Amino acid sequence: MKRQVLAGVFLVGFLLSAPASETPPQLKPFTRGSWQHVLRSHAGHPTIVHFWGVTCGPCKVELPLLGAFMKDHPAIDVVTISADLVPDILGATQTMLEKSGLSSAENWIFSDGFVELLRFEIDPGWQGDIPRSMLISREGAITTIEGSAEMTELAKWSDQQLAASR
Amino acid sequence: MIDVRNRRGNAMLSRETLAIAIFVLWQSCAFGQMAHQHATEAACDEPTLRCASKVTPAFGPDGTLWLAWMAGGEISVANSKDHGHSFSAPVRVSRERLNLDWGPDARPKIVVDRNGGIALAFSIFMDKAFNGQVLYTRSTDGGKTFAELRPITTGSESQRFEALAFDADGSVFAAWLDKRNRAPAQKNGQKYEGAGVFFASSNDGGLTYSEARLAQDNTCECCRLGVAFAAPGRPVVVFRNIYAGGVRDHAILTFADPATPGEVHRISKDEWQISACPHHGPSLSISAAGTYHVTWYTSGKVRKGLFYARSQDGGRTFSDPLPVGRTDHGASRPHVLTRPHDTAMVWKECDGERTAVNLMTSRDDGMTWSKPTTVAKTTDTSDHPLLVSDGQRIFLSWMTKADGYRFQVIEDAP
Repeated sequence: MKRQVLAGVFLVGFLLSAPASETPPQLKPFTRGSWQHVLRSHAGHPTIVHFWGVTCGPCKVELPLLGAFMKDHPAIDVVTISADLVPDILGATQTMLEKSGLSSAENWIFSDGFVELLRFEIDPGWQGDIPRSMLISREGAITTIEGSAEMTELAKWSDQQLAASR
Repeated sequence: MIDVRNRRGNAMLSRETLAIAIFVLWQSCAFGQMAHQHATEAACDEPTLRCASKVTPAFGPDGTLWLAWMAGGEISVANSKDHGHSFSAPVRVSRERLNLDWGPDARPKIVVDRNGGIALAFSIFMDKAFNGQVLYTRSTDGGKTFAELRPITTGSESQRFEALAFDADGSVFAAWLDKRNRAPAQKNGQKYEGAGVFFASSNDGGLTYSEARLAQDNTCECCRLGVAFAAPGRPVVVFRNIYAGGVRDHAILTFADPATPGEVHRISKDEWQISACPHHGPSLSISAAGTYHVTWYTSGKVRKGLFYARSQDGGRTFSDPLPVGRTDHGASRPHVLTRPHDTAMVWKECDGERTAVNLMTSRDDGMTWSKPTTVAKTTDTSDHPLLVSDGQRIFLSWMTKADGYRFQVIEDAP
């Protein structure tokens, strides 16, 4: 009975998942409420949340640098959120994350057309310009960097966070 | 098939099963939502007005309202003889599904000349790197048919954010952002920032355009342009410029004639130093008295939010920026329009539940403004609010996902 039930669950799961099989599994859909989820799940950990998009020129330059930063700073949680508003970009988004060494980061993509509401939940003053990084300290204090972040600045912040925890 | 009954002996299994089922269903819903991310921008995925994500209005000389919209991967046009209550059968301008530029500041452009000729332009993405191409067409039979789509320039580098305007003599002025100067600069070992404002004109009603020429290099590459005429033969372009140190503040240039760009003047020192794509361009309208009205968004060191300023010396100097809307409600997408006796400005605000279109009006050519009033609301995503005039009244044109297309007259503020 147990096997049958589990088999049924997985069958149903497979059938329901099948139409979206081409969706890269590493990308999480960012919808209403996702921002609070991100904050809660990283509470107590120094976290860098990076907003970017595949059609944004400066983002293409910054993303590989962030990938290298993540590799060099394993104690910092790195979260990326694709906030590009151009549809049909799942494949391109995934490819850029992979090429930038960010496959193992926590990667999200805006998946609700009501982007004003998503941005309101994150920061009511943010009008969607990307790239943008939010540095969230262990205590929850948020420092926002508009535009491309200097990796030296991220490294300095990271060192401060780790020093404070010792 | 899925047993979730809470009976002794398999209660644990039921809870496990339920948890797995919920997880599987959540994942399926989530991924399904992602697979249909495209559709979440619009109510549906057909090339109809109801499915449009971006709608651009223009009035013809006879008071006919024309709309060009982006829906289902196509560009379509329809008209209304009764101020938007009913529309003609739509005509598809594109004859196949295109990889349209769906960026936040992209939209089809439509203008109608005094004889009813229609010029239209829009951008597509021509490769996987999101390099754009501006395509154009025209109609000379009252919008029944449109000519085959053509690229507005022979340039092969990325072009986006086109703007169109009919001059008094019936010629069409076109401007857009073009990255053709990037590769040569980089080849010479020079750093190249942004894009260039390029322009061309058509003396045959939009059938052919002149060779593209540069008006201003190294401007922001991802914001809509504002275009209006200061006088016949004197187009004016407002754009987000890049100043020393990567400061992306707004600038304006007035052409001496359609082929001769004038001096570039800074509208406001906002000091927004940012290496990013703001995706948030300005708006320009010029009154019969020659007053330039400009609205824009900035997040500069000096000021943040939406602002309005006016110029009475042909765009050389501007008034102190007037803050517009609530920054804590994400005031965005300002649009300004003048007509002989008043000026109107609309923008969007989001209160965490709804998006509202707010309005201010001025009866003294922008010197003083009414208090903001909310003129429309919606509970889901929406296009930029746009103002359009038939020469008598000003109307709000606003595409919303939840409530469809809205076209309403802007009443004078008391």
